[in-house]
Amino acid sequence: MSVGTMLLQLGKGMISTTEIFFLTLLFSLPLGLFISFGRMSKNGLLRGISKFYISIMRGTPLMLQLLVVYFAPYYLFGLNLRGYRFPAIILAFSINYAAYFAEIYRGGIESMPIGQYEAARVLGYSKTQTFMKIILPQVIKRIMPSVTNETITLVKDTSLAFVLAHAEMFTLAKQIAAKETSMMPLMAAGIFYYIFNFAVAFSMERIEKALNYYR
Amino acid sequence: MENSTNVLLEINHMCKGFDGLDVIRDISLSVKKGEVVSIIGPSGSGKSTLLRCATMLERMEGGELIYLGKKAVWEENGKCVYAGKAELREIRKNFGLVFQNFNLFPHYSVMKNIMDAPVCVDGISKSEARIRAEKLLEQLGLSDKADAYPCQLSGGQQQRVSIARALALQPNILFFDEPTSALDPELTGEVLKVIRQLAKEHMTMIIVTHEMQFAKELSDRIIFMDQGVIVEQGTPEEVFSSDKERVRDFTQKFQA
Repeated sequence: MSVGTMLLQLGKGMISTTEIFFLTLLFSLPLGLFISFGRMSKNGLLRGISKFYISIMRGTPLMLQLLVVYFAPYYLFGLNLRGYRFPAIILAFSINYAAYFAEIYRGGIESMPIGQYEAARVLGYSKTQTFMKIILPQVIKRIMPSVTNETITLVKDTSLAFVLAHAEMFTLAKQIAAKETSMMPLMAAGIFYYIFNFAVAFSMERIEKALNYYR
Repeated sequence: MENSTNVLLEINHMCKGFDGLDVIRDISLSVKKGEVVSIIGPSGSGKSTLLRCATMLERMEGGELIYLGKKAVWEENGKCVYAGKAELREIRKNFGLVFQNFNLFPHYSVMKNIMDAPVCVDGISKSEARIRAEKLLEQLGLSDKADAYPCQLSGGQQQRVSIARALALQPNILFFDEPTSALDPELTGEVLKVIRQLAKEHMTMIIVTHEMQFAKELSDRIIFMDQGVIVEQGTPEEVFSSDKERVRDFTQKFQA
């Protein structure tokens, strides 16, 4: 196999990896916010459920979660879902990453000085306005470094989708490497992950800088 | 009759405790339109708690709170009852509060800090809010700072912006919670100047302060608090020449 064909095959995997990455962020970032609300809720039951959820998601391997999410509909309910593989991957990644993001949000929200809430309250802002206009924008600035960390981990974690034999970057690299008995595909995959993360870190830094107009 | 309609704020038998410790014990107080009332007293006497209960940042545990004849808090069967959400929102429009540590919104420019609440809360148009804010900034000598962010301002400037932010909602009463305690003497001066100017314009103000000289020259009435009760109140002359030992002890330390 020529290097060209190999890279072409890997290229398809790259697209798939990128899809997993962006879709996971798209779903887990907002979902995490709702879980963090549950985690900080005045309602004890809601708080308990959120805490339990986060503890399970953080306390078990993501690889295992991928398998459970994919196979559960069949083994538990006898459902034979067609084309469920990719949605299962996105679902598993999203609910896992949402748990981590939830804790990051919580840290950010709880670090806000109470004076910001009090000022907003006296000025007559509603609770929603206070959160959306006053608190959240400042929280985002505060949590950017942690979110960057998590996002970089996600890029690498997409490779775990190989357990469901999804044709993302890593799965293909492994297959080609085995077939061609060559290190090349794995090296190429490594370079791809590195460049991807370099771009992620660069973009996040730009966002952080853009938010630096205030302290 | 005319007297009663001039009363903007009425506090009757306010009580408040923290962890079984009584911080406010049966305080009654009324403030008339145009009055400047200073609350002085040692640390821990309950001054700030009184202010925080009056501005509903802290829940009172007994008594009544009435703004312009409308009850915000009252007692039923020995328990404090607060008015409904919508009513409280209306009642809150009667007062503004200036905090000790400003609590400006750091991610908003000075202009946006002042304009945002009138637009988002009172629903006035952006252009009107901007005109109002520009006028206030001019009054407070901050016209050149409209586009600055709070972190670029001195403490005194920040406190003046926070006064402008409170005034932009055109409250009937303005509360100050130790407005100069976080400032050095020089910056204190510029904030006190603004408060003096407001007094001249007959703004109704209730000021918790440690600036005795300032309280003395500016106030129509001074309230001296200690251990959760009003020990003495009256004109500055009356309070500063009080024959009550606790008051004399405290005020004499400030007589140069």
